[in-house]
Amino acid sequence: MNTKDLDFKADKVLAKEFLSNFADANGEAKYMNILQEVANRKFRAIQVDLEDLFNYKDFDEEFLRRVTENTRRYIGIFADAIDGLLPEPTEAFTDDDHDILMTQRSDEGTENMDGSDPHQKMPPEIKRYFEVYIRASSKGRPFTIREVKASYIGQLVKISGIVTRCSDVKPLMQVAVYTCEDCGFEIYQEVTARIFMPLFECPSKRCYTNRAKGNLILQLRASKFLKFQEAKIQELAEHVPKGHIPRTMTVHFRGELTRKVVPGDVVELSGIFLPIPYTGFKAMRAGLVADTYLEAMSVTHFKKKYEEYELRGDEEEKIARLAEDGDIYNKLSRSLAPEIFGHEDIKKALLLLLVGAPHRKLKDGMKIRGDLHICLMGDPGVAKSQLLKHIINVAPRGVYTTGKGSSGVGLTAAVQKDPVTNEMVLEGGALVLADMGICAIDEFDKMDESDRTAIHEVMEQQTVSIAKAGITTSLNARTAVLAAANPAWGRYDLRRTPAENINLPPALLSRFDLLWLILDRADMDSDLEMARHIVYVHQNKESPALGFTPLDPSVLRAYISAARRVSPCVPRELEEYIASAYSSIRQEEAKSSSPHSYTTVRTLLSILRISAALARLRFADTVAQSDVDEALRLMQMSKFSLYSDERQKSGLDAISDIYSILRDEAARNNKMDVSYAHALNWISRKGYSEAQLKECLEEYAALNVWQIHPHTFDIRFIDA
Amino acid sequence: MVGLAYDLLANPQGAVRSTFEKAVASSGLDFDPASLDGEDWGALDLFRHFLSDQTHLSQVPILNGETVKWVRPNTLVRFRGMIQDMLGNEFYVGAFKDGDVWRTNKFMDVSHFPMPMASTSSPHMRVWERRLLYCVPVPGRNSWTEPSSELVVNRCVDCSSHQREKRRRMDDEPVDHMDMLVSDEGFQGSPSTKKMKEDGQPSMSSQTTEPINEGICSHMSMVPSIDSDSLPCLVKIYDSPESDLKLNDVFEFIGVLTFDSEVSMDKDDQDELSNGFSEDVLVHLPPNKVPRLHCLIHRKLTVPDFLHSSPTMEPKPHVVKEIREALLRHLTAVLGDDSVAAHFMLLHLLSRVHTRVENIAVGKLSLNLTGFSKESVSLFGHRLSLAVKDLLPVTHCIPLTVEYLNSASLAPIKDYETNRLITGVLQLAEGSHLIVDETQLKAGTLNSVGVDNTRLLKNLMELQKVEYDFKYYKMEMAADVQLLIISEGKSNILPADIVIPFQPTSVDSSEVRAAEALEAWRWYLATVKSLPHSIESEMQKVVENDLVEARQSDRNIGSQDFNRWLTMGRLMSVSFGENCLSLEHWQMVKELERLRRERLK
Repeated sequence: MNTKDLDFKADKVLAKEFLSNFADANGEAKYMNILQEVANRKFRAIQVDLEDLFNYKDFDEEFLRRVTENTRRYIGIFADAIDGLLPEPTEAFTDDDHDILMTQRSDEGTENMDGSDPHQKMPPEIKRYFEVYIRASSKGRPFTIREVKASYIGQLVKISGIVTRCSDVKPLMQVAVYTCEDCGFEIYQEVTARIFMPLFECPSKRCYTNRAKGNLILQLRASKFLKFQEAKIQELAEHVPKGHIPRTMTVHFRGELTRKVVPGDVVELSGIFLPIPYTGFKAMRAGLVADTYLEAMSVTHFKKKYEEYELRGDEEEKIARLAEDGDIYNKLSRSLAPEIFGHEDIKKALLLLLVGAPHRKLKDGMKIRGDLHICLMGDPGVAKSQLLKHIINVAPRGVYTTGKGSSGVGLTAAVQKDPVTNEMVLEGGALVLADMGICAIDEFDKMDESDRTAIHEVMEQQTVSIAKAGITTSLNARTAVLAAANPAWGRYDLRRTPAENINLPPALLSRFDLLWLILDRADMDSDLEMARHIVYVHQNKESPALGFTPLDPSVLRAYISAARRVSPCVPRELEEYIASAYSSIRQEEAKSSSPHSYTTVRTLLSILRISAALARLRFADTVAQSDVDEALRLMQMSKFSLYSDERQKSGLDAISDIYSILRDEAARNNKMDVSYAHALNWISRKGYSEAQLKECLEEYAALNVWQIHPHTFDIRFIDA
Repeated sequence: MVGLAYDLLANPQGAVRSTFEKAVASSGLDFDPASLDGEDWGALDLFRHFLSDQTHLSQVPILNGETVKWVRPNTLVRFRGMIQDMLGNEFYVGAFKDGDVWRTNKFMDVSHFPMPMASTSSPHMRVWERRLLYCVPVPGRNSWTEPSSELVVNRCVDCSSHQREKRRRMDDEPVDHMDMLVSDEGFQGSPSTKKMKEDGQPSMSSQTTEPINEGICSHMSMVPSIDSDSLPCLVKIYDSPESDLKLNDVFEFIGVLTFDSEVSMDKDDQDELSNGFSEDVLVHLPPNKVPRLHCLIHRKLTVPDFLHSSPTMEPKPHVVKEIREALLRHLTAVLGDDSVAAHFMLLHLLSRVHTRVENIAVGKLSLNLTGFSKESVSLFGHRLSLAVKDLLPVTHCIPLTVEYLNSASLAPIKDYETNRLITGVLQLAEGSHLIVDETQLKAGTLNSVGVDNTRLLKNLMELQKVEYDFKYYKMEMAADVQLLIISEGKSNILPADIVIPFQPTSVDSSEVRAAEALEAWRWYLATVKSLPHSIESEMQKVVENDLVEARQSDRNIGSQDFNRWLTMGRLMSVSFGENCLSLEHWQMVKELERLRRERLK
């Protein structure tokens, strides 16, 4: 045992050195600064970060291991070290009862102390104003409750879980102080467990030699208490293996860590995994079964907003590697709901919804939203809801709800009477809860009229205003709305116009940046595809291979959160380009006899938003022309999903349409040469693919309408 | 097995200890139990070897409401049940140093040697862990599946005193604990029980072996058991990977039964602790109500394990065909000579979830028989449910009424007060059969519970999943339940895979089912169900073309219908005992579908 004591003494020296010498990244003496604050009674908690121990210049691996494996002991060692290091307070503070007691004790202490009796020696805890916590490194994955095995007993572990129950905060005695009726000495008793056996006979030397058996009286005012709270945490649903029940664990919070959690919180805890010491009757069978608990050392809340998302070590690297890859836009969008076949453009749009554009606040206080709103409309059974749910899974903050919201609160907010206090309280609905996140609303068309009115405000001003029961207020609802709706008659009726089918007021429709129609079309190829898929599933008991490996949702989330930090701006030279694109859309609409869309200033803002989101994906500070082109293409595609039938009716097939587009553009610019890149731009904006362009180029080159450059594919019209 | 110091049946813990001592001795003085880390040291092999012998296995009594009255603690027992709840890990001192000797506490609740009082972190103590599973008898199990052995075991005179003692304990539950302690100690120490312990063993073994053999011969034992359906058991699992045992799985556990009456004492102690959460397992599952079983060996049970006939019968094509014809005749008779419905019924009874792909449970085939009226339901509905009960081991029936939907708790709910999963009607073992009788349903208003319940039923029907309510989140648990719905019109609450109007032509069913025939049918259903199946590439082409053609002609046909046809194709060929889809069987499926569609018109 002696050698061990020596060890601890040596470690105390090590701890002292570390605390006084550790310098953080800025060269500040982190812990000495904290100690000064503690000495000034600014705060109580001293958190020793294991990460700092790791980064310490005299890093001692053995010491770190000892601290992690016998954490409880080392808390005492660090506390002892701090006792010796604590500087004099630099600010004056008023003495409280405790201080007065302490001065009295130190006055008396010298005469009474005979040092031999442990009960008479004042335990260091009673003098301490601070609490020491040792926090596990934030790097590395936290354990699930299931993974904490018997071998971790006594060690520092990091666990994630959801809080299911919390007890009240109660005082827990740390040092019991008695006074003896006979000799008048103060007797101290340290309490380490939940229950303790009080002393009844005075153990002091004087009483012992006198055989006085002095009566001891417990002094509550002089004793030291700690705040104590007990909680239960449960495994998160995603950590539970299939076919198993989530496990639970008891957590003890002490001192400053109490009142940090409420039931329902998703938290990451670091703490010491300990067995409960049995006393009394329980000890009789104590040898066999031991209850365990986690002595909490730090609490971190989970499910953060994108803004607070902390990247883990390997994630940064992964993102950097992904960003270098040119095809990131396709790669990310394909990884959204990989099990849903096709719908590439819709997935791209959804990716942009996740990324969003930066919010703008003008000088006069007007705000321009950056969130993209998307509406998916389509026949039943085209996986709309699945897409919605998947997006909510990827978003760190997402609320999924249906138009006919399940609670009285509905989508916006409600004033309700608190059953306990009888006060009127505001309760946020789905849109308010999804603030700074994504709100997916299924069955958008079946929404209550009252909520639909409120949604107008949410989608443009991003607030929810309430004037009910004497409460007039406006709540933030900075959320991106992703809506899914069925056509007016359940199924899309091709005999009616799109406007009739959609059945949403134009005022609401214009607030969506993109509107997609997903139809279940009669198509031999897709039918065969489906038949093959199902036969494959029945045959091989798995889905056919995807042909690519989708990215993990966590990687996706990390990438998006990194992208959301960028706030790109539109360079001056692009302004002209965007303006002309916008005006051409307006003109086209004016020309057409039956306008399909309501192109307004909102459309222009949408173009800017989508382009900014695209620039964010590239981690670029400025929006490039290609971003604007892609934005225009997406908008065009979304329109075509609605009106593609009419295009076919107009009698032009794809190839001749491409030709006329190119011819018109060339004529407009008064040029005979069109570069391939430009041509691709123009046609993709109209919703055609590169393959179709190539086909068109070949076909018309054969007709000698134009010449194609054999390498660059640039076009030169042959003047007739 | 010469030289065994301990009787594995009567004193399994002794055997465990002796193997441990052997293991310690073999590794010499510097034995370090840390290297063992709770892993097995050879005790399991001993038992596995011992129990691989059928005669030994049959000597192990099956624990149920009947046998629990006379089975003695610390002996080897069997328990057949479904895992209803998982209580998490329990840490116990697995090995400790008693003086200079290492001792183990594995497979026991109370140490046989005095334990040194030391903190758990001392090097003389090793903390190991075991998992606690709360098991209940399979809900809805039909009486014919009961292994018949228990019925014949006479309770010996010696045991009756024990039994009385236990009765007393069970009945006077709220007795002051001090009182109980005294009575238990008195019981433990009484000379009569000592005598029983010594003498009981030989008489016991001779008594149990013979009757079991008898029991197997008289396999039709329809004696309903009174108590045996309600005895739960807390099974403690050692040394097996977590993925082995899943919620709702049906297992046979063989292990050491402990009735540790002392442990129940600290109930008051618990309150004194002012724990805040009285979640201690002991409080909510008093050991005198719930026996503990320290599991040595566990085995997953499948349908054939519930049958009494010998499993050696091979599924030969002509035998299978014969049985199939007979069963079909039987079903037709039960269904009032409606042979189309009988065909669908047969396919339905053979269905099971093979695999899950993208939210689709492949292989399920729920059936909705429509066209029932109040009168016909009392006749045919009753007859049908009896027939299903006779054929399948685990069956349930839900009479669907508005009141039922509004009040029943279908989904299991986690109760955080007691830290237990409160079971619901839809917590069913794999392969259960569920009849939902919708004919009783009248117009009415559903409250929020009712809406939730209908959603649960619908999810079970469409996805074969049940959402368990964990209050802070819901967890979907995969299920495999055959659903049969009886309704007047097409059920809108429960959209089944197959809707077929039921058209009986005759009322009487004079057929008497012979016991042998029933046995054969049960065997047929159990065996054929698990046959492998594949589609040859040529056949695949034919099927694909048929599907596309069907969809071209009728746009309303979707992936659901494709899935259904392929499932039917599989079940059809499997019902003939064949592993490959043949054109003939595919044509039969199409013909059945045609007949069904005609009826729907």
